[in-house]
Amino acid sequence: MTIEQIADKVRSGGRVDAAEALRLYREAPTPLLGQLADEIRARKHPEGHVTYIIDRNVNYTNVCVARCAFCAFYRPVGSPEGYVLGFDELFRKIEETIAVGGVQLLLQGGHNPDLPLEWYEDLFREIKKRYPTFRLHALSPPEVIHLSRLSQQTVPDVLDRLMAAGMDSVPGGGAEILVDRVRKLLHCYGKATADEWLDVMRHAHKKGLRTTATMMYGTVETDEERLEHLMRLRELQDETGGFTAFIAWSYQPEHTELQGNEATGIEYLRTLAVSRIVLDNFPSLQASWVTQGGKVGQLSLAYGANDMGSVMIEENVVRAAGASYCMDEVEIVRNIEDAGFSAKRRNMHYDVLGEPIFREREVPRMLELAIAREDGDDSVPAELMNYPARSRAGKQLRVVPS
Amino acid sequence: MTVTAAELASFASSHDIISLGVAADDARRQRHGARTTFVRVADVDAAPGAPIAIPPSTGEVRIVGTPASRAAAVQRVREVVAAAGKTPVSAYSLADLEQLAAAEPVPLRALLEELRDAGLELVAQAPFDQLRDARMAIEQVNIAGLALARLTMEKLPTADIPELYRQIAALQHDVGVIKAFAPLPRSTNPAVPTTGYDDVRRVALARLFIDNIPSIQVDWALYGPKMAQVALTVGADDLDAVSPLDEAEEGRRRAPLEEIRRNIRAAALEAVERDGRFDVR
Repeated sequence: MTIEQIADKVRSGGRVDAAEALRLYREAPTPLLGQLADEIRARKHPEGHVTYIIDRNVNYTNVCVARCAFCAFYRPVGSPEGYVLGFDELFRKIEETIAVGGVQLLLQGGHNPDLPLEWYEDLFREIKKRYPTFRLHALSPPEVIHLSRLSQQTVPDVLDRLMAAGMDSVPGGGAEILVDRVRKLLHCYGKATADEWLDVMRHAHKKGLRTTATMMYGTVETDEERLEHLMRLRELQDETGGFTAFIAWSYQPEHTELQGNEATGIEYLRTLAVSRIVLDNFPSLQASWVTQGGKVGQLSLAYGANDMGSVMIEENVVRAAGASYCMDEVEIVRNIEDAGFSAKRRNMHYDVLGEPIFREREVPRMLELAIAREDGDDSVPAELMNYPARSRAGKQLRVVPS
Repeated sequence: MTVTAAELASFASSHDIISLGVAADDARRQRHGARTTFVRVADVDAAPGAPIAIPPSTGEVRIVGTPASRAAAVQRVREVVAAAGKTPVSAYSLADLEQLAAAEPVPLRALLEELRDAGLELVAQAPFDQLRDARMAIEQVNIAGLALARLTMEKLPTADIPELYRQIAALQHDVGVIKAFAPLPRSTNPAVPTTGYDDVRRVALARLFIDNIPSIQVDWALYGPKMAQVALTVGADDLDAVSPLDEAEEGRRRAPLEEIRRNIRAAALEAVERDGRFDVR
């Protein structure tokens, strides 16, 4: 098929196969990809809304045994720069989030061997007790697998316990590229194979949880492997229908073991547009302004995205790898409206909650993203003493001085 | 593809930046093909006696800042020209020189001739929105035997884009010596930065409306790799202010020269390095 024939197929609502998607990705002019992706966005969201959510991306610990080569955020067990946030600190962050109209915590962290499943259950239960309507978009598939291994319980059982404690939905982090050759090269095969990541999502969907899916591209994968990632997500979505949205972002190389270059802005827009074309069964695509900046983030709305993601009050992971973009609600809404769309606040299920909150009441401007913990803060939460540690460093921290 | 006046008017008021970008890219490719030029610029301060560092890969030495006096402007040009060797030297904003000439007082042309006699080749920029009389000032540059490196916009214009660009096309019609126009503002309100749509629209409409200025330019350092790269796909063909420092502290692939070439290649364009005279290096 020629590029124009594949384009006609997309225009008429047909589904592209992997070979056709690869040809589009490699050979189609960038504006054509944009036009095709925009037509799909318009078909799926004819009302002309672009949504966003006010939430906080909290990383409860940076201690991690996974040691992924692309990650600048983690610290090994026993590192003096390692931290765990205390319950009180997390409650304070939730209260700050609610004060600016936030509805959810995106809670993810390292694979810390000294935080047992019970720590998460107690945390979730306490959050739900204190803030009953506040949502927990928590623990990506590799974290669920880590807890499964740590607790020696099956993934479905871990999900049941977390759901019973208050988990509302599962973020799609840790997918990177869902191809095991790539995962081995990135040292993330051990934390979750491609099948394992997909299985966690399959279980979550079958239990009624909605989840997102992500792709971190631009490391060592080939174009074919990028497409394989998208195809595997599409297959699972055909099976379960549980994904609400897809988010692609480019690998951020600063301070990582892997190093290398970041993919360019045009590569991001092409990847986003092809994702919109391939993932014809995903309702929403998010713009990754946190990695691309506000300008390319806004241009994403012409390349298939219908959601500006999060008014992120806090971000730690991509910031550690060099990305430092920040937009508060006023700025996100300005960008949406400047692109010719109407801006709507949403929840994690992509239900529209209303108009921009800053138009309803006074909300302080946020021109800088908060971080989990200030440099030099080496305090240890008191409640950690209530949970058994597995690592030697963790056990030492729990020794009460006589 | 020829864009009609009606299409231009429609593009100017539309949110369809893809179609606008396609039209501007067609116009750019008719003129330049895939060729994308860039210049590595070493900035030096306008104060006489200030340190001068000119890396060997520099394609243009640019004296930046406002000269304190006519004598200081001339002295600084002499110092920098002596240090620059064969590398072309550009200096000052034409708007600042207009003001300096008025303050001294001396005719603008006399001031420009003094700078030329001190060894200056190029006036670094002519900010269209800051000049008292753009046509007269640019003509004086030409008559004084200097070249103009670029026409710029200092601030976000309040006039509508089509009207502004018609004025700039008319200016070039009269003076005929503008080689490059940089349509994106050099200073914006940090609390309300321009958006990606804004920037694409300004660059693309510049290429479509102003068909008599050869190059549409974007400042690599000011607008950053991502936006500058996007601009190259919607009408821009020249990148200004690339760093001449090619230190490879983080590996050769992350050095500035390789980064700019990689970005140009990733936009399916061909990178060509030029100097301040627009000569290929």
